[in-house]
Amino acid sequence: MTVVKLRDVTRVHGDVHALKGVSLDVARGELVAVMGPSGSGKSTLLNVAGGLDRPTSGSVTIGDTDVATVKDLSALRRREVGYVFQDLNLIPSLTAAENVMLPRELDGVRTGRARTEALDALTEVGVREVADRFPEELSGGQRQRVAIARALAGERRLLLADEPTGALDTATGDDIMRLLRERCDAGAAVLLVTHEPRYAAWADRVVYLRDGEIADAAAVRLESAR
Amino acid sequence: MSIRHGLLALLSKGPRYGYQLRVEFEASTGATWPLNIGQVYTTLSRMERDGLVAPGGTDDQGRAVYTITEAGRDELGRWFSTPVDQAGRPRDELVIKVAMAVAMGGVDVQAVILAQRMAAMRTLQDLTRAKRAASGEPAERLVLDSLIFKAEAEQRWLDHCEAVLREKRS
Repeated sequence: MTVVKLRDVTRVHGDVHALKGVSLDVARGELVAVMGPSGSGKSTLLNVAGGLDRPTSGSVTIGDTDVATVKDLSALRRREVGYVFQDLNLIPSLTAAENVMLPRELDGVRTGRARTEALDALTEVGVREVADRFPEELSGGQRQRVAIARALAGERRLLLADEPTGALDTATGDDIMRLLRERCDAGAAVLLVTHEPRYAAWADRVVYLRDGEIADAAAVRLESAR
Repeated sequence: MSIRHGLLALLSKGPRYGYQLRVEFEASTGATWPLNIGQVYTTLSRMERDGLVAPGGTDDQGRAVYTITEAGRDELGRWFSTPVDQAGRPRDELVIKVAMAVAMGGVDVQAVILAQRMAAMRTLQDLTRAKRAASGEPAERLVLDSLIFKAEAEQRWLDHCEAVLREKRS
């Protein structure tokens, strides 16, 4: 089942053609990595795929919804899409659990239910025990896990990650990738932007962008595909 | 790659027979460099000739075992305390290929680089799958990590080639 589908997507900023006709599908249970030099359109691709930005032409479908038919993109995003960024945007004055609850509460979910969901999400990513601690009391790896829990809370099954291993050391970065991989194997669809080949290699497919176009894609060999 | 020193290291833990050495060697390196049993016996007999190991009779099931000698322990100590010579590596075909593609002109260097990049990525994906499936033994993990770091270094160098060539063009 395809979770996000891009068809001949272009995106023009002023006179810069950031994307020049990109088509890409990410299915349930699939981890797709996007690589490419800076300025190749990686972040634009992620923003368009997650409904943070609209394409200049072409179509983007998230779940069953064609983004072009949606007036309120932010509601669609909150319902369908989770984000993990390099700078995690955890709010320092809120505990880990409250950080995970916040987007759900903004979406109208009652506090009690949001907390239950948050604890479930923190358990899924293996940091239930830090639920009531503040971000500054957590290690880099724990903070990243909290950010992933926040992205996954509720029913969202599309996860967009922009350099999620950021400044982490390679062993912790591997842990984060293992976690994203497990979330995928449990049914999420993950679109990952990274410039680190070692993390891209956790993906089922690696798409290489150059000058706003897909230059090539490496898929895991068929005999080893799940 | 030094089979000789790998076997000496295993024998330093106690007498072992040939097949056992092969199994333990592969277990501690994550089966990354499969050994055939012939290589094990050839290496043992050369080391016996050089006085590094000695026949140690047979075990209770009649298998011929080997023990490490004092000279063998010295050699093993020397190996662990000496850095590996980086200059002894063979010529790198990829570097020669890219250099020639750039120097000749008329070759699509970007295509050469991209093809290599995708091949290197598939290798990295395979290694990463092997790592996910691995037992979690630190020795095995570190061997796979070493291969991952090497594949990654190749990718970085290819990035660098592209960046330098792009700068040249503009």
